[in-house]
Parts: sequence; C-alpha cells; structure tokens
Amino acid sequence: MQVKSILLAGGALLAASPAAQASGFQVGLTGAKNVGMGGTGTGLYLDQASQFFNPGAFAFAPTGFQVGGNIAIPRISFRPGDADQGQRNLQNTNVFPFSGFVGFGPKEGKWRLGLGVYTPFGSELHYAQGWEGRYSLTDINLRSVTAQATVAYAITPQFSIGGGLTALVLGDVDLQRDIPVQAQGSTQPAHATLTGKADHKLGYNIGAMFKPSEKLSVGVSYRSAVDAHISDGDVKVTGLPASAAGSFTATKFEATLPLPDVYSIGIGVRPSEKLLLAFDANLVGWSRYQSLDFKYSGGVLGGAASSSSKRQYQDALAFRLGGQYKVTDNFTVRAGTFYDFSAVRDGFITPETPDADRIGITAGLGYSFGERFGIDASFLYEDFMKRSQSQDDLISLGTTDRVAGTYKTNIFVPGVQLYVKF
Amino acid sequence: MTKIFSTVKATRPALALLGLGLAGLAGCQPDIDSNSPAPSPGSADFTSYVAVGNSLTSGYTDGGLFNEAQATSYPALLAQQFAKTGKGPASFVQPAFSAAKKDGSGYIKLQVVNGALAPVQPTAANNYLGEQVARTGTVLPGGDQLEAYSGTQPDNLGVPGISVLSSLSALTNGLAPYGSINPFYERLLTAAEKPTKDYVTYIGQKTPTFFTCWMGNNDVLTYAVAGGVASATNPFSNLTDTTRFRIGYNAILQTISKNGTVKGAVANIPNVTNIPYFTTVTVAAVAASFKAQNAASPGVFITARSAAGSTTTAVRLATSADLLTLTTQAFIASEVAAGRPAPGSLPTAPLPNSYVLDTNEISDVNGVVTRTTQLNDIIAKAARRFKVPVVDANTYFAGVAARGIATNGVNNTTTFATGNFFGLDGVHPTPRGYALIANEWIRVINSYYGSTVPSVDANTYRGVLLP
Repeated sequence: MQVKSILLAGGALLAASPAAQASGFQVGLTGAKNVGMGGTGTGLYLDQASQFFNPGAFAFAPTGFQVGGNIAIPRISFRPGDADQGQRNLQNTNVFPFSGFVGFGPKEGKWRLGLGVYTPFGSELHYAQGWEGRYSLTDINLRSVTAQATVAYAITPQFSIGGGLTALVLGDVDLQRDIPVQAQGSTQPAHATLTGKADHKLGYNIGAMFKPSEKLSVGVSYRSAVDAHISDGDVKVTGLPASAAGSFTATKFEATLPLPDVYSIGIGVRPSEKLLLAFDANLVGWSRYQSLDFKYSGGVLGGAASSSSKRQYQDALAFRLGGQYKVTDNFTVRAGTFYDFSAVRDGFITPETPDADRIGITAGLGYSFGERFGIDASFLYEDFMKRSQSQDDLISLGTTDRVAGTYKTNIFVPGVQLYVKF
Repeated sequence: MTKIFSTVKATRPALALLGLGLAGLAGCQPDIDSNSPAPSPGSADFTSYVAVGNSLTSGYTDGGLFNEAQATSYPALLAQQFAKTGKGPASFVQPAFSAAKKDGSGYIKLQVVNGALAPVQPTAANNYLGEQVARTGTVLPGGDQLEAYSGTQPDNLGVPGISVLSSLSALTNGLAPYGSINPFYERLLTAAEKPTKDYVTYIGQKTPTFFTCWMGNNDVLTYAVAGGVASATNPFSNLTDTTRFRIGYNAILQTISKNGTVKGAVANIPNVTNIPYFTTVTVAAVAASFKAQNAASPGVFITARSAAGSTTTAVRLATSADLLTLTTQAFIASEVAAGRPAPGSLPTAPLPNSYVLDTNEISDVNGVVTRTTQLNDIIAKAARRFKVPVVDANTYFAGVAARGIATNGVNNTTTFATGNFFGLDGVHPTPRGYALIANEWIRVINSYYGSTVPSVDANTYRGVLLP
C-alpha cells in the first residue's frame, strides 16, 4: 500500500489513476513477489520489498538487490448520464511503475540497512476529444518517485522492529481542462493547463514482526500520512477571449493533496517447506481528504482567487490473500486475490479518479539461477465494479463540478523483477 | 550449459503466459453500452415531426433569427434525437435564409464600447456589425422585411413574435392580416396568402405523426417587455384576455393534433419576471448611480400604475419589487447625453412607464404573473382535452432562475451574458439554453410515451460569445 498523489485543478482536481491494487489513487505495484501474491507482504520477509511493506520484517529478509518494472494497462469506459454519445473510451495510456531496493547487513545478523526507490503513483488519463466532462478534466498526467532509507533490527530471533524515512524526490503533475468561455468566431472554449512540481516532503514508515516459528510470522506496519504540496505551479490558459483576460490573471497556483496513512497487519503461514500462505488487511486513512483546494496568484473564472472542490473521501479497507508454492528448488508459482473498498463515496466520483470497489486476481512465477540470481514475473488483473452517479445525486450533494454517468474500469499489469542476493 | 538450457525452458511458459494475458485481458475494454437501454420511440411515432411555436421554437437568440440559431433550435435538436430511436424524421426542414444572407435578421453582439463590454444591435449605421443580413429594405409594421423563404413548408413552424391572439384571424375579426405585419411570418407566405392565411390555417397544412407546441409566451411577454404598456397602434400588444386565449389555444391544438389523434407535447408559459431582461438592471443599482451624482438623491422615480387594478398611472419612488427593463441604462445615458435630466432622478423627470414593470403590473388582478397563471390553466386543460403532456416551462424556468442548471460540470444561470443560459437580448435562450430546454422536452416525452430518446450534451452548444 502505498502511495499516492496529487493535484489539481481549477475547481477540479487531481490525482491519479485507476491506480492498480489500492483504493483511491494509490498504486500498489512494489515487489513482483508481493504483487503475484495478491499484494500481501506485511507478514512476510521474502525480499527487499519488505522495506516497503513492513520495515520490521526487513530484519529477517535476505540481503540483496532487486529491481523491477510493470506495465499498467488500464481500460476505462465512461457512459454519460446526460447525453447521447454512448460510451466513451479513454485514450488508454500505459504507465510504467518501477521499484528498486538494496539491503545490506550481516548474513545471519540482527540488523539491516536498506535503500529503495519506487513509484507510488503515476498515471495518465486522456479523455476522448470533446467528451462530456471536459469542463471537469480533459487530461491528467502524474508522475512521482519516492526514495526510502530503512533500518531494521531483530531484538530477538523472534521479534524485530524497523523504520524507514521516505521522501518524495520527484512529483510532477499536468492537469488540463476546458473553461466554459468561448470567443466570437471560435468553435472551441478556452483551455487551462496546470503544471507543477511537488515539494520534497518527508514521511516515514515503521513496522514490527513476530515470528514464533519458521511456520508462522505476524507483522504490523504503519505508513505515515503526507501532505503533497505544490507551492509554485504554473497556470496557462489558451483560447481566452480578449475581453475575458481581466478575469484570468492567475499565473501560479498552490495546492495541497492530503495523502492517507496506512495501517497494515499481515500473517504468513508455512505449512510445509514448499508452501507459503499470506493474508493482509489494510486500513487506509483516506478520510483526511475532504476537499481539494487551490489558491491562485490572481483571478480565475469569475474572478475568485481560490477554489474548493468537495472530496469527502472515507477510510478504506482492503483484504488480501496470496500464496506461493515451490514446484522445484528453482521454480516457484504464486497466486493471490484481493478486495479493495473504494475511498470515494457515491456521488463524489471525479474524472481523475474513477474509483470503485475492485476485486483483483494475481499470479506469479519465480525462477532462480543457483543461489544468488533470480527472476520473478507477476500478473495482476483488476476489475472495478461498475459505478454510476446521476445529475440529481450531484445536485443534492453539491458536487456538480463533476459528471453524471457510469464508469467501468479494468486494469492488467504484467511485471518483471530481477534480483541478486548478496 | 545445463543451467542455461533450463533457463530457456523455464522462461518460455512465462513469456507465453505474458502474451496470453496481454492479448486476452488487456484487450478487453469494459462495455457499458450493451447493458444500457437502446433509444426507442416507445408508443410515439416521430417519423414526421412538426414544431408549432413562436421565437423560442424558431431558435431566435441574441435578438435575431439566423441560420446558425435555427440549426440549434430546440425542435432541430429534438428531431436529431428522435432520429436516434430509429423512428425519427428522415429530415427536418427549417426556413433557412440563403447562404449569402445567412445572418437573417441580424443579431446582437458583445463589443467593447468605451472600455466596457456592451451588447450592440446591428443597424444600418454600423453596417449590421458586418453580418450578412437578409433585410430587403422594405419596412413592415412589425419590422424590416426579410428575404422570402421559397422552400417546402418547414417542419419548424416557429414564427418569432406570434401569439395565440395573432394566430387565429377570427379573434381580431380579420382586421389584422398577420401575414402583412410580421416579417418572420410574411416571408413564409405567398403574396396571395399574406392578407388572408392565418397561422392556424398555415399549420393545418401539415400532417405530422408527432408535434410539439409552445405558444402563448407573446400573449404576456410583448406587454411585459414594453413595461406593461400596450401600443395604441398594435392590436397584439396588450395582455391577451382569457376568453380569446382559450378559443385561440384550443383551435391551435385541435388543428395540429388533428382533433386529438396525433401525439405530441405542449409547453406552458414561463413567468417573464425571471428573465435577465427584467433582473439585470436593478432599482438599487440605478439609485446608487443617482446617489453618486447627487448625495441627496432619494431614489428612482418611476411612472407606475397608481394602485392595484388601476388603469391610471402616477409617479412614485421605485422599490426593489419594481423591475426595470434591460434597456433602461442605455436610455438614461442617451437622455443625459442629450443634455436632459437623467430619467428617474427627479419627480418631474420620472422613468417612463415603458421602462418599468411595476409591482402592480406584475401581480395585481391585471398583472402579467396573474395572467400567466390563468393562461397556463387554459393550456393544462387543453392539453388534457387533446391528450398530450405539458412541459411545465414555468416551473422549469423558476428553478433555473433560483439555482441555475448544472450539466456536465458547468452551471448555467440566468445572469445576463455570463450565465450563458440567456442570450444578449435578455429574453431568449442561447443555443446552450435551447439544448437544456430540449432535454426537458425529452424528459417529459420519455416519461409520457415510454420512449427512451437520449438527451443532448448541452455544453457542446455555445453560450454567450465574448470578443
């Protein structure tokens, strides 16, 4: 579980995508072994991805280096409630989440030091030209990279703790939408583009693991909330009628996106040498995200220098189940499933985060070349529940800055990871 | 060697699975349409659709009728949507102007005048704002004559300016040959028809399978926009009485519905006091401008009905219950420019009655709102008699006036110009406003006939264009 992100827009806003494997706009694609096992990991100590899932468990993980990447292939459809164009298919754009971790420490020792880089969010959505919701959002492109430094210590052979310091080292956003102002002689309304880079905010995660035997491990972890903040974003408006220029003097914007904290508990069970089963539960503190507010350096439509759009997200639970089976000493297969509850309430769905309850199915393969090298592949298919909101819903909730209609999304994410054990 | 060999073997299934996954899963775009109802006509038959009405039906906007406006009239949008049911009209004819005169009567544009945005009327003096107008140079009692329409009889029968009273020749004893008065009606008729063929007869020539009728607005509006003043020379400038309205309205519905055998829908009359023509220039704003000139100014003096139900006028100070017309500010400015005292600033120089719809003119026994309610009752009864549903335009516009109407992330309001619902004459909707109105017709038609005609994305139609 992981992270998130940000941003924007003149009344509309931002944030990311049909993020795979986690509610809201989180992306949960760190660690190919974990992805293959339904996104479990809090109660496991398989590899360097423990730094991310549970820094406490990292104390029991092998040392090594691993790097992996995914191709997230979303398929999003929208059918407007208030118009007749039929279904709109987004210009689906693939995104490429990656992660890399290195962990050091004495082979049988009590401590570990680790470094990691991963992409907690990254999404691109391009709606069809002229789509019904273009005054809410036409395009969104978010990219982020988070770095983490981790230390873990096994107090006893059965109990360990750990913590990591995280930093958003790269976060940029590009949000675009049309503005309902049109010039004489033009067939197109004005268009606004907001671009900006997030401040390098720090956060942390902590975790503990209790491992009474080789057959059982229990982990808990906590990832802190972070306020992703863009302090100096750029506003650019094109196609504006000359006589309206005085109402659009803003060139800069400032916005904050509260990112949730995550509580996780996980259990790993090894009934035999060959079989590993894992269960995770996550509670994501999305209720921090009540509204998306922008401040502008000048006036925007209507002359106001700020805007606020209701979000009113709710805390969201996710349950994950996964397992792996060693077919041979070198070859491992994995499978998993998860159910993720939406953070977005009915009537609050926005074009940049067409969130819904979703069910996921995962599979994975691992092959090791001797003791040190290996490759893992993962496959994730996620099916979002179809979700509708009517204009009457929007009016009664005061959320008419978004679009009535029905969203349906699915995502397929193949991934691969290479690792070396020291 | 052995190891390398086994590597190759092991990755093959992985690659195969990857390929299968990409092809099988990623190619699967969610399909929402197939689970949604397909457009259907229900029990209605839209194959020959005809629209009866006035300027609102013709597509008139920004103070004019022109080809672009006709193309976004609500009947044109309805015909377009009806066609999606598979039982819609193959064509929908509108009385367009020739391509070289596409701007028809000409229309108001926003321009920067003396540093401020102002609506500017097309006139001969400003070369009609560069518009390709279709005025012939001849002047009829109702305005400049327009290029004649020579095509087949239109399916959009909307005639700007027409009222129920002027639709039936018998109501004025044939003394008012409407085809010789109204340029928008005159251009549709032959020379022989002009003095004799009334509108009821004209619409009776059509044999529709479905009709819409939105009549009666001008039986109230013409009087209201004149500030509650009837012209001595215009027999159609007063509030229409209920007796003649009942006769005329029933004649129209009986004719177009072929005595109740043709399906259709009608709309009633909105309360005209909600339109920007009456809500933009406020008594408070004019009073403040007087106060800025003269701190002792007591307010705005108006010529108003002397008492509820009275037929005489008296001068008094205006209150917020009195409405001023959109043209008031320009009138005040022109009088001041001519060296006369600002109208309304002195008891001896009150705003003329024609710029004021005072509180009694609105709501006394002879007021426009009172009459609107009476006429809407007649419309409701006639609709029941001819078995058609009523689009409650009065309630609809009251809602728009109170809250605006939000659609697909944009709120459209009745605020002049910036609200985007009403055009620059302050009375008629913009193409976007008409599209929203079309959706209200569709809602009522679907509900009554069990059809599933799809609505339109109103935001694809323009609001007010800025320079």
